[in-house]
Amino acid sequence: MVDEVFVYALSTCPWCRKTKQWFDDSRIAYDFVDVDKLPDDEQDAAADKAYELSGGRRFPVVVINGEVIVGYSPDKFLEHLKGWGGGS
Amino acid sequence: MTGPCWVPTIDDTTVPDGAYVAVFPKGLGVLLTRVDGDLYAVANKCAHMGCPMEGGKLEGYVLTCPCHDWRFDVRTGVFLDAPELSIRTFPLKVEDGKVHVEVGGA
Amino acid sequence: MSTDARKESLRYLFERVVTPLGYKFSPDEQLVDDLLEAEVQLEQDHGAPFCPCQGRTGVREEDMKIVCPCIPFHRAHFDAMRRCWCGLYVHLDVTDPDSLPQFPPDEV
Repeated sequence: MVDEVFVYALSTCPWCRKTKQWFDDSRIAYDFVDVDKLPDDEQDAAADKAYELSGGRRFPVVVINGEVIVGYSPDKFLEHLKGWGGGS
Repeated sequence: MTGPCWVPTIDDTTVPDGAYVAVFPKGLGVLLTRVDGDLYAVANKCAHMGCPMEGGKLEGYVLTCPCHDWRFDVRTGVFLDAPELSIRTFPLKVEDGKVHVEVGGA
Repeated sequence: MSTDARKESLRYLFERVVTPLGYKFSPDEQLVDDLLEAEVQLEQDHGAPFCPCQGRTGVREEDMKIVCPCIPFHRAHFDAMRRCWCGLYVHLDVTDPDSLPQFPPDEV
């Protein structure tokens, strides 16, 4: 089963780096965007998307199969990963 | 032992109501403010990052630091968003038309 | 001012703020160093040492609430986590910062 994982991150945030590292170590493919590294004209749209999904301004915002998890939280990541027995 | 040290600053009439004036008794940065006729003296230095409070907005008793908008009550010096933090306040008195500020513990 | 000098001065300034609030710098020195470095960069680029793990909106009233230390503006949430969002500060009695979970305020 293939999990769809997307990480909204800030390059300045260690917990965003830890989140990506966790997916790397777990050998789970994911896409990500470092919002603050985007060209100026793209930053607002990406940030607004992350704010809308998470209901706040905190990073990382992790979307796993459509479910939104805010913060570095491996237990919650696992809960929503189908390939790991989580998800629905 | 250092006792009270009253330092004369500016004429009482030069502090308008609803505004503040920066003074420097013994070199110390102090803002004199007047709200509803009463005078108050607070440190001209924010409890956050030490920014000068001068240039910030005074609305009622609330003085807002111009750097990062930290808000303090000029009567007590207390930071409105966390009462554990404050800016220093100074005793004052008006004598012979001048505002005297007590900076003994400075 | 060099980055290292500014990091040191932020450490000095912020310690005076967070101690009365019941917080201290995380015992994770590497994390503290990374975060302070990021804050110095944010201060240089955007005018204030914003939280490295929260995004700005361009609305001053909102953005000033994520200038470090932002504990006063997020007290109940951070007290529940026993750390601030980015983990730069932890409650005074915390010795194992890695054990502290990061969760959003709606889960408090």
